[in-house]
Amino acid sequence: MKITFPHMGNVYIAVEAFLRGLGHEPVTPPPSSRRTLELGSFHSPAEVCLPFKIALGNMLEGMAQGAEAVLMIGGWGPCRLGYYAEIQRLLLQALGREVEFITLEVPRRPYAPYAANLRKLIAPTRFSSLARGAGLSWAKLKAVEELEGLALKVRPREMRPGAATEYLQEQLERLRAAETAAEVEELRQAARRDLPQLAGRERNQPLRLGIVGEIYTVVEPFANLRLEERLGYLGVEVVRTISLVEWVTNHIFKKAAGLSSLAPLRRLAAGYLRGFIGGHGLESIARSVALARQNLDGIIHILPLSCMPEIVARGILPGLSREQGIPVLSLVVDEHTAEAGFQTRLEAFVDLVGRRVGSLGHRQSSVSRS
Amino acid sequence: MAELGFQVVSSPWTNQELLELGLASCVDCACLPLKAYVGHVQFLVQQGLSLLFVPQVVSLFPKEWTCSVLLGLPDLVKQYVPPSVRLLTPVLDARRGIHQLTLQYLHFGLQWARPSPVLRAWRKAVRAQRTWERAYQAVSSPGRFRLLLLGPRYLTDDPYLNGNLREKLRDLGAEVLCPADFSDATTAAACSLLRKRPYWTCTRRSLGALAHAVPQLDGVVTISPFGCGAEAMQGVLITSLTGTRIPHLELHVDEHTSPVGLFTRLEAFCDLLERKRSG
Repeated sequence: MKITFPHMGNVYIAVEAFLRGLGHEPVTPPPSSRRTLELGSFHSPAEVCLPFKIALGNMLEGMAQGAEAVLMIGGWGPCRLGYYAEIQRLLLQALGREVEFITLEVPRRPYAPYAANLRKLIAPTRFSSLARGAGLSWAKLKAVEELEGLALKVRPREMRPGAATEYLQEQLERLRAAETAAEVEELRQAARRDLPQLAGRERNQPLRLGIVGEIYTVVEPFANLRLEERLGYLGVEVVRTISLVEWVTNHIFKKAAGLSSLAPLRRLAAGYLRGFIGGHGLESIARSVALARQNLDGIIHILPLSCMPEIVARGILPGLSREQGIPVLSLVVDEHTAEAGFQTRLEAFVDLVGRRVGSLGHRQSSVSRS
Repeated sequence: MAELGFQVVSSPWTNQELLELGLASCVDCACLPLKAYVGHVQFLVQQGLSLLFVPQVVSLFPKEWTCSVLLGLPDLVKQYVPPSVRLLTPVLDARRGIHQLTLQYLHFGLQWARPSPVLRAWRKAVRAQRTWERAYQAVSSPGRFRLLLLGPRYLTDDPYLNGNLREKLRDLGAEVLCPADFSDATTAAACSLLRKRPYWTCTRRSLGALAHAVPQLDGVVTISPFGCGAEAMQGVLITSLTGTRIPHLELHVDEHTSPVGLFTRLEAFCDLLERKRSG
């Protein structure tokens, strides 16, 4: 079966490998673009959040390339993400598109549709092939994340602006084509060797800013207007707080096994937020505290317009910023976000943080460089 | 609360002054009811009280949620009150069973009083709530056509925030039904018409009420706060339930909504219904 799926950063590399392992043909939609968003927004309810619209656009573009089925994740709230798939299914149905919609989520009664879905998804393969596909997919996901992480460190230090991004793109293409775990490992080794060489002499240590917020807008460069790259070119080393590998471990493996625990996050967020509020609200607060304790120079909080958990986080962050002594910038994105305004705000924030660090007389982050 | 030995100060119905207090302090992007709530909080804080009751309403029905904002409400409110005010924030969570709510109320009460006054207070509170609900339902009187008004109760039941919507619809000759007119059992069962049951209580009640009452309805009016996550998707579900059989007026309100504009839309909608009926 030809299966398409929505984009989320570079996750498509891992999903492709996984679907091949299942014996399906992945139809990866073109990278999210203005056109994707327009297509998605046109068919979406007006007030739904940005990730929904882009994902719907991805699905429509994937279907235009001949996909017969759509793969999407679901959930049971309180974040809207859990209901995305159902609404998208209804919207596609209303458009009269003949398409199978396969939602991956923890099943609840009635179970029959889940069983049918699972059978469709797993039927064409043998277990050995499935296991190999899953292993390769996992290796690729880890490799993607490592490469991206290396690029974040190199970007503010690179000799020729853009070199790290170019190298990253090339390697990601190779990673996508890789067919064995050994090849993936080789690419990782190569990146560990080559990427740091793009950095110039150790200049003044760059500012270090952390990014927290709603996972899709943090991970998907199209949704956050290439936030990480922009900051890199402004001479900022970006510290990621959201890891997809971690997300998959926590939300899929551990949850399925009933081992998922919020206790560490709760401890960090103590005094600000008492527990789970859906989506990444608790993470945003907990990670912000963690970043402040690591003496980072500032935090950027990014969220889609009308994201309920992050609005709560946004209300709490100013107090956290005051008490923990760390500057925070909240950025709201939707389909109307303009690049120029976005860039101006980033520049202003980076200037401000730079000056603050200067007036403090020392670089906070030098205390605990990892 | 009075039974537990507190001296209770409550805020009046939402008005211009309260809302503005909220607008001035509350995080932007927040929905209208949240801003109004913060306004109520600010008003109460100005009365110089020492304890503020802000429950964390996690869930009102098994396997369902209220919404993220309500889950984070006590922590959010904490940002807007001076440290001298202590927040009382019992957790109300019915995810593991509806009787949990009662237990959680009683548990909260026991922190402040001995068992017998707590039980008395609980019974009295339940009675008062029931009387109020009954009075509220009795208001709906037969009209020339029957409308179902859907939306979160803090909006449908707050005449200031919704521009006195119910009253106006009644003046226009409509009989107004609400999800509150149907029991949880009814709406939950009716929701089986949907492939995936909504996990927000308010949305489930709304859609269940709609699915149940469709045959006897002339129209549906939905009112939702601008930027409400749960309500944003409701339109699609309503269409999937009713198709094009029933006219549907979708209202989104925020602090810039004018009652006049709202009234014009209601009039136009009711005119349409009349015409549909006669022709």
